[in-house]
Amino acid sequence: MSEPFEPKIVAFVCTYCTYAGADLAGTSRLKYAPNVRIVRLPCTGRISPMFILKALQKGADSVLVSGCHPGDCHFTAGNYHARRRWTVFRALLSFTGIPEERIRFSWISAAEGAKFAELINEITDDTRKLGPFTQYQELQKVIETQSTY
Amino acid sequence: MGIQEQYRSEAAALLSSGEVKLVIGFGAGSTADRRRPLFARTPEEAEKFVLDAACIANLSTYLVAEGLLSDGKKVGVFLKPDGIRSVNILISEAQLKPEQVVILGYAIENGKDVVPLEGCNISDFSIGEKIRSHTPPTHVIEAAEKIEAMSAEERFEFWKEEFAKCIKCYACRQVCPMCYCRRCIVDVNQPQWVSTSSHTLGNFEWNLVRAFHLAGRCAACGACDRACPVNIPLRLVNYRMGKEVRSAFDYVAGENSDQKPVLASFKQDDPETFIL
Repeated sequence: MSEPFEPKIVAFVCTYCTYAGADLAGTSRLKYAPNVRIVRLPCTGRISPMFILKALQKGADSVLVSGCHPGDCHFTAGNYHARRRWTVFRALLSFTGIPEERIRFSWISAAEGAKFAELINEITDDTRKLGPFTQYQELQKVIETQSTY
Repeated sequence: MGIQEQYRSEAAALLSSGEVKLVIGFGAGSTADRRRPLFARTPEEAEKFVLDAACIANLSTYLVAEGLLSDGKKVGVFLKPDGIRSVNILISEAQLKPEQVVILGYAIENGKDVVPLEGCNISDFSIGEKIRSHTPPTHVIEAAEKIEAMSAEERFEFWKEEFAKCIKCYACRQVCPMCYCRRCIVDVNQPQWVSTSSHTLGNFEWNLVRAFHLAGRCAACGACDRACPVNIPLRLVNYRMGKEVRSAFDYVAGENSDQKPVLASFKQDDPETFIL
């Protein structure tokens, strides 16, 4: 191997809590792993499972989905709906053999900058141990070779 | 008088009195053991209806055909309990008006005896308790348990092999009464969520998305399983989703027509053990 493996992590976060929490981590000068790519969305209710699949399709090794704690949603109930959706989606991923450790869910409020930094470090370490998600990415190679016809 | 003759004359009476504009039932198929949907608009056509143990298709899928019910007229339809369950789900999702569907209910017992079900409106059939206590065929449970007992890697390999067979004919979508979207997400190309050519990644995504969209909505009629030309065990995924929805939210799809769709409702104390 020429270069050591650096995990690619995609974080889908809601703008009112987790994004603000990430912002707080930055303004508090907390250092966390630079492996995360943050995608800001209006609410966790906006986060379709398609986003997660798309991230994996495009080469993410882990995905984090994070939003406001229950009861704190800016839109009152977006995170409650999202929670049901994730429960079902997680069961589906597990049943089809996509490792659950690669898809994480969390509640991080705008005041929890430290929690955000810690979580990102933890996910990065865990993903580094798991290694690249070649299982899924190899399915993608099948596309690339086929599409060159 | 056998049940077939009884239902033929009931369908003919519905049509001749003008109560319904159409009756959807079964006619003879291309071979002796197959049946094909028959759409009768006159009492004479109703004489061609066949009703026997080979009538296993879920005809409720034709009720959501675009424009069929938009004139406000009624339609009669031959339905087994799983079809009645689908109609319940469709009503709860505001896809059907209960008063527009006249049900000619029947059940197949022990795989050979056809018995009539009393009632003609959806409210006449209280199937809630039967659905809750109903157990799917043992081969489905056994196959699902076998998959659950595997390691994650083995499960992935299992489904990779199954989904690799998929030719994206979308027969599963076509036959499913719950797949009524005017524009399916797989047909959306800006952005292209699901790769549409026939390779394993796209097949994986397509089948995951379909299973997710059917979570808590599947009536377990097994039509997708029967329709699949390459025999992917699709009902296993749907069975697993139904099980999850039931254990996590105590929800069983199609119990009655008043329930709120499971992913469009919530409770504040829903389980969330997996959220950090």
